Amino acid sequence: MLLPTGVRFESFATEGRYIHTWPQAMWLAALLLALVVVPHVMSLYVTGALTVMFITLMAVYGLQVTVGMAGQINVAQSAFMGVGAYAAARLSGMDAPFWLAIPAAGLAAAIVSIAFALPAIRVKGFYLALTTLAAQVMFPIIVLALPSEWLGGTSGMAVEPIEIAGRMLSTPLDMYYFTLAGVLICSVGAFNLQRSRFGRALCAVRDNELAAEVTGVNVSYYKVMAFFAGSLFAGVAGGFFAYYIRYVTTENFNLLLSIWYLGMLIVGGLSSPLGAILGTVFITGIQEAFHAFGGALLAAFPNLGGGLVFATSNVILGICILLALIFEPRGLAHRWSVLKAAYRIWPFPHS
Amino acid sequence: MIDALQVMINGLLVGLVYSLVAVSFVVIYRSSRIVNLAQGEILLIGALFIWTFTLGVKLPWGIGVPIALICCVGMALILERALFRPLIGESPFTVFMASIALLILLRGVAQLAWGAETRPFPQLLPSGAWSVGPFLATKRLLIGAVLTVSLVELLHWFFMHTRQGLRLAAVAEDHYTALSLGVSVRQAVAVAWIMGAVLSAIASVVLLSDQIVSLTAAGIGLRALPIALLGGMQSVRGALLAGAIIGVGEALASVYVDPFTKGVSSQILPFVIMIGVLLFRPQGLFGWKVIERL
Repeated sequence: MLLPTGVRFESFATEGRYIHTWPQAMWLAALLLALVVVPHVMSLYVTGALTVMFITLMAVYGLQVTVGMAGQINVAQSAFMGVGAYAAARLSGMDAPFWLAIPAAGLAAAIVSIAFALPAIRVKGFYLALTTLAAQVMFPIIVLALPSEWLGGTSGMAVEPIEIAGRMLSTPLDMYYFTLAGVLICSVGAFNLQRSRFGRALCAVRDNELAAEVTGVNVSYYKVMAFFAGSLFAGVAGGFFAYYIRYVTTENFNLLLSIWYLGMLIVGGLSSPLGAILGTVFITGIQEAFHAFGGALLAAFPNLGGGLVFATSNVILGICILLALIFEPRGLAHRWSVLKAAYRIWPFPHS
Repeated sequence: MIDALQVMINGLLVGLVYSLVAVSFVVIYRSSRIVNLAQGEILLIGALFIWTFTLGVKLPWGIGVPIALICCVGMALILERALFRPLIGESPFTVFMASIALLILLRGVAQLAWGAETRPFPQLLPSGAWSVGPFLATKRLLIGAVLTVSLVELLHWFFMHTRQGLRLAAVAEDHYTALSLGVSVRQAVAVAWIMGAVLSAIASVVLLSDQIVSLTAAGIGLRALPIALLGGMQSVRGALLAGAIIGVGEALASVYVDPFTKGVSSQILPFVIMIGVLLFRPQGLFGWKVIERL
C-alpha cells in the first residue's frame, strides 16, 4: 500500500485500518452522500436497478468469502440465496418482523450450505464445486416437490411488505434506502471479515492447505465455515430480495445466476471485497447499458426475438470472465490499485 | 417380477447411453486435466450441427453427420487455441472457472446462432423395440448401449495400451511434469477436446434421435456428471459401470419411489449418489487416488 508522507503507525491496529487519511474519509463520505442523493436525481428505473445491484452485491460479498478468501469454488450461490428468500417469505407469512426474518434467512441458507460443504473434509479443488453444483440442481426440484402449503410449490410464495414503526415500505424509494442500509452493514462485515483471525485462517487454507494444517489451522473446519459465512451473506441477500420482489419463485434462483455472480467476482478480483464491489458495478453497468441498447435494437428489428438480449449478455459475460482469467486474474481491483498508485505518485513513473 | 426386470433393463440401457456423455467428461479430464462443466453445451452444439447438416440443409444423413462431426472437431480446435492453450499450467481453479465461463458463453452462442425454438431431431437410429422373450428393448437405446460399450473398449485400449494414450496420463497428472517429460500438453488438450466434442455429438445422436432438440438439451451434461464422478474421473470403463448403476437406480426409483415423492426421488438420486461418493470415496470407483507428499 502506498501512503502519503507523514502517515505513521504506532500500533498494529491503526495500520490495519482501511481509512488512514482525511481525504480518504472525505471520499467515503462523498460516496455515501451520493448513494443517498442518487434516487432523488435519477429515474425510477435507475433506482430499481441500483436496488437489485445492492442485493447482488451482498451475494457477491458472500462468494468473495467462499471463493476469494478460502479458495473453495461455489456454483450454488443463487440457490443459497433462494433458500434465504424462501425462509424470509415463510417467516413473513407468519407475521415475523423483517429484523427477525432477514437474519433467520441468512442462518437458514448457511445451515443448508453446511450439508453440501461436508465433503470438503474429504476432497479438495473442483470436486467441492460439484457438490455445490448438486445443491444448485437439487434446489428447484426439491422446493417444487414439497407440499405447496410449505413453500408454495410451483406457484411460488407472496411476501408481506416490511413495516417499520407503523409505516409500510412500499415505494421503490423506501426499498432503495432499506437495501442500501443492508448493503452497508454487509460491506462493514465483508471488509472486516478479511482482516479478522477467521479471514486470515481462510486465506491460509486458500494459499496452501498443507502449510495451513501444519501451522495449526483446522483446514476441514475452516473450509466448512467458509461456506457457512459465504452463504450467510447469500441468505441475507435472498431475504432482501424476497422483500424487494415481494414474490418468490424458484426461477429467480437458477444456475445461470450463480455463474453470473461468480463471473462478477472474477472480473472484479477475487482477493478483496473491493473486487466484489467493482465487479458487481462493472457487470451490472454493462448489463444495464446493454439492456437500454438492446431495447432500442429490438424496437428496430422486432423479428429478432426477446431472447436475443439475454443470449448476448451471456456471451458478453462469458467473454469478460475468460478475458479476466487469461489476461488479468487479479481482476479490476488490481487495475484500480495500479491506477490509484499512479495517481498518487504522479508525475513520477514509479516510487 | 418381469415388470421389475423390464424396468431394470430400461434403466440399464438408458444408463449406458448416459455413460457415453460421462465418458466425454472423463476423456477430457483423462487427457488434459480439465473438468469441463460445459460438456452439456458442447453436446447441444454438436446436436445442433447435426440438425443443421441433415434437416436444416436437407442433406442425407450419410453426408450430413460426418460434416457435423468435422464442425465439432473445428469447434474443439478453436476452443483449444483461444481458451485452453493460454491456460496451460494454470491452477485447476482457474481452468474450472474457464469451463464455467464457457458454459454461459456457449449457451449464449447457441441461442444466438440457432434461436431458442424447439426442433425435431432427425431419425438416425431405428425406432420401436425388439422383444427378447418376455422383455422389450428399445432399438435406439440398445444400439446406443452397444455403441457405448464398443467405444468405451476402444478408448480403454487407446488410453491403456498405446504410447499416445499413456502419454496423456502424464498430462492428466500434472502439466509441468508432462512438459518436462517432453509430452506436448497443447497436443494433449487438442486431442482431449476433439474426442470430447465428437463423443458428445455421437451421444446426442443416440439420446435425441427422433426426439426434439432445444436449448434444454444442455441439461444432459449435468445429468451425466454424477456418472463420471461415480466411475472415477480418470476411468473410461468405470463410467460404464457407474452408468449402469445410476441408470438402474434411477429407473427403480422412478417406478417404485416416485409415486410417493412427486417424481423427485429419481431426479435427485444421481446427485445424492454424487455427494455420497464425494464423502466416502472421492476418487470414485476406479479413479486414481492422489497421494500428496510434501
